[in-house]
Amino acid sequence: MSTKDPLVEADAPLCRTPATQQRLVDRRSLLTGGLGALAAGGSVGLAAGEPPRVRPRHAQRPRVVGPSRNPRTKYDPLILKLLKRATFGFSGETYDQAAALGYEGFLEWQLGHLSIDDSELDARLAPYDTLTMTSEQIVATYPNMAGVPVGQLTEAAILRAVYSKRQLFERMVEFWTDHFNIDILDGVCKYLKTADDRDVIRQYAMTSFPELLNASAHSAAMLFYLDNYTNVVGHAQENYARELMELHTLGVDGGYTQADVEEVARCLTGWTFAGPNHPTLDYGTFLFLPGQHDNGAKVVLGTNIPSGGGVNDGLTVLSLLANHPNTAGFISRKLCVRFLGYDPPDDIVETVKDTYLATGGDIKEMLRVILQQPVLTYLSTPKFKRPFHLAVSMLRAADAELTSARFVGAEIQIMGQLPFYWSPPDGYPDKLESWATSVLPRWDFASLFFDSQIPGALVNPTALLNSEGGSAPGEQAAAVDRILTGGALSDDEVTAMQDFYDTAPPPTGSVVRDLFGLGASMPGFQWY
Amino acid sequence: MPRDRHECHGCREFQEWSRRRFLGVSGSAFGALLAGPAWLPRIVLAQNERSDRDVLVVVFLRGGMDGLTSVVPYGDSNLYSPTLRPTLAIQPPGSPNGAVDLDGFFGLAPAMAPLLPAFQSGQLAMVHASGSPDPTRSHFDAFSYMEFGIPLQPLATFTGWLARHLQVMPPLGDGLLRAIAVTDLIPKMLAGAPATLPIPNPAEFDFPGRLASAAQRREVLDEAYTTASPPLPGAVQSTLATIDLLATIDFDNYQPAPGAAYPETQLGNAMRSIAALIKAEVGVEAATTELSGWDTHNQQGPLSGDMAVLMDDLSRSLAAFHVDMQNQMNGLVVMAMSEFGRRADENGSDGTDHGHGNCMFVMGGYINGGQVLANWIDGALLHPDLLYEGDSLQVTIDYRDIVAEIVQNRLGNANLAAVFPNFIPTFRGITS
Repeated sequence: MSTKDPLVEADAPLCRTPATQQRLVDRRSLLTGGLGALAAGGSVGLAAGEPPRVRPRHAQRPRVVGPSRNPRTKYDPLILKLLKRATFGFSGETYDQAAALGYEGFLEWQLGHLSIDDSELDARLAPYDTLTMTSEQIVATYPNMAGVPVGQLTEAAILRAVYSKRQLFERMVEFWTDHFNIDILDGVCKYLKTADDRDVIRQYAMTSFPELLNASAHSAAMLFYLDNYTNVVGHAQENYARELMELHTLGVDGGYTQADVEEVARCLTGWTFAGPNHPTLDYGTFLFLPGQHDNGAKVVLGTNIPSGGGVNDGLTVLSLLANHPNTAGFISRKLCVRFLGYDPPDDIVETVKDTYLATGGDIKEMLRVILQQPVLTYLSTPKFKRPFHLAVSMLRAADAELTSARFVGAEIQIMGQLPFYWSPPDGYPDKLESWATSVLPRWDFASLFFDSQIPGALVNPTALLNSEGGSAPGEQAAAVDRILTGGALSDDEVTAMQDFYDTAPPPTGSVVRDLFGLGASMPGFQWY
Repeated sequence: MPRDRHECHGCREFQEWSRRRFLGVSGSAFGALLAGPAWLPRIVLAQNERSDRDVLVVVFLRGGMDGLTSVVPYGDSNLYSPTLRPTLAIQPPGSPNGAVDLDGFFGLAPAMAPLLPAFQSGQLAMVHASGSPDPTRSHFDAFSYMEFGIPLQPLATFTGWLARHLQVMPPLGDGLLRAIAVTDLIPKMLAGAPATLPIPNPAEFDFPGRLASAAQRREVLDEAYTTASPPLPGAVQSTLATIDLLATIDFDNYQPAPGAAYPETQLGNAMRSIAALIKAEVGVEAATTELSGWDTHNQQGPLSGDMAVLMDDLSRSLAAFHVDMQNQMNGLVVMAMSEFGRRADENGSDGTDHGHGNCMFVMGGYINGGQVLANWIDGALLHPDLLYEGDSLQVTIDYRDIVAEIVQNRLGNANLAAVFPNFIPTFRGITS
């Protein structure tokens, strides 16, 4: 949202291009700008124009699938339910883990995410060098190549969702990324979002809400995105102050007034971050400038904040907001909507809110309440997968090998939900009506993926089918159902798919691909 | 447009891949069967009778467009008070970088100048100090109030005002595709609308996958979704019908009328697609699209920065549409509006915070254009005593007055109580 950014000098890449101008470029070129630069940099991904190579992965390393996977009724419905809610979708491997640990065991294992070995994912992420860099290092390493950090972070988000064994953690990362939304294409957020993702969202996604809120308020990407870095005494700038209350804490009906917005803005005057040429501090380090702070007394939500508080004014506001019952209620409802259903019962929301208030906003404790077996069993209602979830669940179920997430990302963007690309501060919507009117892009994704038309996304439908006993006559649709959902499609859906398989024009390999694409396009695959 | 060379590299590459994909791999199962060089239409449709109901196009300007910059009330001397907009106010006509005069009181920002011919032709009007009466300064609540058309009451999940209009009116054509949102998602104004789809790129709306099995797969999905949870059955029905409908229009080879130069932007492409769709006369009654990025808290850039870029896009897109649709203009209304205006006084970062009243744009063959409608009290609506809540432009004309008049007089719907419940509109003479 800034054109002439005083914090970044002319040598910082892309600052010469206004953020809005960027947005006017066709969204797809922007995407591939980001991801394309990555391939051009040679670190990861396919070379330009290289056709997708389908390695017969399953022929080399067949899935360990015993006869116990067959028939469908062997799947434990409670475990399936937990997987639907706590992960990015069913996969044979995750199911086996959960079945071995049991419902409670799997949930606790997922809640203790740091002790879950994720070395396979780490190896996949190793080539993405910017993920571990400071903002200063990213700018120094990739001057004039903002597409590199943008592309790497976006690809990494896809890889993590697909391959991480810390599935619940990744679901929470997605949740908080929406909650504390930052448009990665907004000016220098191209360089700053990587640190925000790592040091704010991922660092605190499973700790406590007050810690997360505090980290977000000190994040350079957030200070830039919502303009607080220009909020100075005498000329308060209320953008961040408003969204802090409306979107991050109290909620729009959380009981604050326009006067509160203006007072909070005053409290946060002087909150900024170090520019690239700062003599001592690294680029993107939080910085409080006392000379730009409004030192007068303030009143926020009826609480007097005496004059002379300096940086403590803002900290007081954050504490007031984090401990406010309306914040507890707002966060609790949002979590319940994400994990339980579009209109969760008030009782469970109240219980989660009580947990928030009793534990100081402990995120794991709230998740324990929401994901306990009776709650999921009796209080959850079907939710429509958002496009990112849909794509990731398909890749997981099909055991896809991503040699590059770049064109998967392009397809997810066509469906409307590439991570970090939502421009307004409210995050991608979590509402049925926002997504359920647009089915064609979803069918398109399913078809392209199983036809191996998405470069870098390798899948072998025939080997998958055979591994699940799908070579037997009349068993193909049931096998596809087991692979995609653990046997959750309806009997009618499976019957219709089998009829299709039995009558579709050859060759057989194409019919198998069609069958998977059809299965992933069925109503039963769209919900979780 | 300057862009990082890596991004350009990436986009070329993507475009090549994209072409391969859409032409070579998954071309429309149905459209591909219909050959022919002419862009419109490849099969002969039943001719629509000339309708007395206009097609409506709505461009939503998301983020809070600053109407005091786009349409400058330079005749109100308060605009130039040193405490109001010392760095942002666009100077009166005749000054360097001054406004382009409209009527001796209002002028266009220089970046809006492409709209001057439409204004002078009498087909474009502005309505200033207008908007939603709801006091909210939240973008998201303001979207809801304006698009649901139900301000000043507790928010709930409502249907959109445009959806309710479509609900109470019989379809103009065969009703397969009554409205289209040229965006990724359906906007709230179309929430609950019959036979309505979000189609960000109408040229690429094809049934996917292998041609040889497409008809069978399509049949399976058609059947499976009839019993799915709402709103999926309706969405799928519209989707399948629309695939066939859009396959009859060759958007890629659409030739705009001579002199119509759409900018190569998302909005420009959207308006171009909408033009092709309307000319194809397939029964579409309303189209919506949007231009985002108007939330100019910081470095607003009225002359050469962010906002100037946006205004240039908006004005050139609308101007191209005006030229392109000259022969259809008597059956068309185009509206551009934003959720609220911005504060009258600038903030400390050469930007403006959220405000209230704003300016909207209305274009059409039967629109009383060539004027700026406004109740600019005493020519001094920016006087501190007249500002809304002491800091913003008032809403002197409810946007529902304008919309309702168009709905009744141009869209042929007298059931305004359905469109805007519990509201008695005052017609302002926007239609002729």
